[in-house]
Amino acid sequence: MKRVGVFVCHCGTNIASVVDVKRVAEAARSFPGVVFATDYQYMCSDPGQELIRKTIKEQRLNRVVVASCTPRLHEPTFRKTLESAGLNPYLLEMANIREQCAWVHAKDKEGATIKAIELVRVAVAKACLNAPLKPSTIPITKRALVIGAGIAGMQAALDIADAGYEVVLLDREPTIGGNMVKLDKTFPTLDCSA
Amino acid sequence: MVAAAQHPQIQVITYAEVEQVAGYVGNFQVTIRKKARMVDATKCTGCGTCWEKCPTKVDSEFDLGLGKRKAIYIPFPQAVPAVPVIDKEHCRQFTKGKCGVCQKVCPTKAIDYEQQDEVVTESFGAIVVATGYELFPWEQVYGEYGYGRYPDVITGMHFERMNSASGPTGGKIVRPSDGKEPKTVVFIKCVGSRDEAKGKSYCSRACCMYTAKHAHQVLEKIPGAQAIVFYMDVRTPGKAYEEFYSRTVHEGAVYVRGRVSRIYQEGDKLIVCGEDTLLGRQVTVAADLVVLATAMVPSRGWEELAKMLGLATDKDGFFQEAHPKLRPVETYTAGVFIAGACQGPKDIPDTVAQASGAAVKVCQLLSKDEMATDPMISTVDENLCSGCGLCQPVCPYKAIDMKTITERVAGKTVARRVASVNMGLCQGCGSCTVVCRSGALNLRGFTNEQILAEVDAACL
Repeated sequence: MKRVGVFVCHCGTNIASVVDVKRVAEAARSFPGVVFATDYQYMCSDPGQELIRKTIKEQRLNRVVVASCTPRLHEPTFRKTLESAGLNPYLLEMANIREQCAWVHAKDKEGATIKAIELVRVAVAKACLNAPLKPSTIPITKRALVIGAGIAGMQAALDIADAGYEVVLLDREPTIGGNMVKLDKTFPTLDCSA
Repeated sequence: MVAAAQHPQIQVITYAEVEQVAGYVGNFQVTIRKKARMVDATKCTGCGTCWEKCPTKVDSEFDLGLGKRKAIYIPFPQAVPAVPVIDKEHCRQFTKGKCGVCQKVCPTKAIDYEQQDEVVTESFGAIVVATGYELFPWEQVYGEYGYGRYPDVITGMHFERMNSASGPTGGKIVRPSDGKEPKTVVFIKCVGSRDEAKGKSYCSRACCMYTAKHAHQVLEKIPGAQAIVFYMDVRTPGKAYEEFYSRTVHEGAVYVRGRVSRIYQEGDKLIVCGEDTLLGRQVTVAADLVVLATAMVPSRGWEELAKMLGLATDKDGFFQEAHPKLRPVETYTAGVFIAGACQGPKDIPDTVAQASGAAVKVCQLLSKDEMATDPMISTVDENLCSGCGLCQPVCPYKAIDMKTITERVAGKTVARRVASVNMGLCQGCGSCTVVCRSGALNLRGFTNEQILAEVDAACL
């Protein structure tokens, strides 16, 4: 039994000044699987995340849809919210109603609202099929390669080496130093560059 | 330089190039070609006998042609390592087949004319790209400055070499044409920078300051000399930078706001014609030496390296950071970081800061024994996979291999080929799932069923 919660974000006025967020939440309540839908000013803020956590527990949600900005921005945020509420983070789904709605359809509020409702409908349908996922791990070779042994490469190599890791510092020229060693004195202190 | 060379945790490999990069974050396999120096580095003591006795003299690349080097050489006296290389294009042993002087005089028998390039493959967890810059080839486009015809029109880098105590003139500022000390030196800024018509649209960021330094050096080293700087703007946004510029002006450097329209030779003078836009009049200077502040451009070979590492570049060939403000040393390839002028023109303080930033990112990665991978990657349903292999060539990350599995069919053991996804390489783009005819490949988190459910929700 899927129990989906839908959380519609205002993003201050970024979304709410164009999209009728209350109508989006209202519409979401009728979608299959949705047991709860609401809107809030800043879903990514502490109180916003707390609202999601509280609702997950109260409504026994097992899928969460956040309708807000691009997942590139806050997907990691909301995944952590789910995790802290005891849900697998990959049971989250996001509907981008800021970049794909409010910002691009700023002059067509009615159209933007209808599109936002559609995007949430799509996200809910996908969320119902979201499965818990677990990251796997890969081993790390504790060695770094620095390509180019000018001032940037030498500094990076020294810092990494000082932290205790093995570094290979590579340069195609017969000597290290790059352009920097060609310089005489360097501004603004006029000390030598060697 | 010496600190890097002597650090017990740093292995310096010079005269070598990256040829191939395979693998993924935490597990890169890098193929390195160590070019043949024709000198056995394990035997060479850097005594210098070989380059002293070498009979062939060539223009020194390190001194930008202002000085000479031998065919067996180290670029400059303090080079690290102090192991020479033989320039096969000029060495008589290679061009004429006879000479052998260096081999005869070498006290440790380190010279080896038969040495071959050595190709090695090594494993690394992280890569820092710090390939730097080179100077804009102004000779190709700036006809008004003489297309490089006049020997006394030089770049700031030439000027640096002349100023260096270990440089071709021993630290003396002279005219390359006749070796005389110049009395009037003209500096021209923004040669190739901020010039969309002939050069690059960007500001090279370090030129205003090094020109101020050069003007200061002229006034300091040559009594009674004149330093005249033609500029578009004076940009000094750094700690103690504006003060440095003011000091140069107070020392007597003359700053003229305007571009130079023409330089021509008249006797042993270079006549520099320009405009003073603040006074609104033409200016003509009879100069002894002209120094151009040429733009920084990415170091040659950036295209090949970008392809090998999967790096994006901007319109000018500088490597693209993952975010212009928040991820300045990361790239779109996990485990590959950038530092210094290969990311964009910058001065030494900014370069050092960025390099330390990149180093922290590397340490962050290397401090873990293992790392979590994104689970939203492709998976193969081996029951459905027909082993057609169509998925292999479409994968942009080379993450799919074919493997052989054995199974029991009707009481017999049969072997067949199926696709297999490398978890470390797969970035979850989904290309393979589109070409998979049997529907065996599925992207976790974006399964075919999920996508169809989305389509249904949108259309029904």
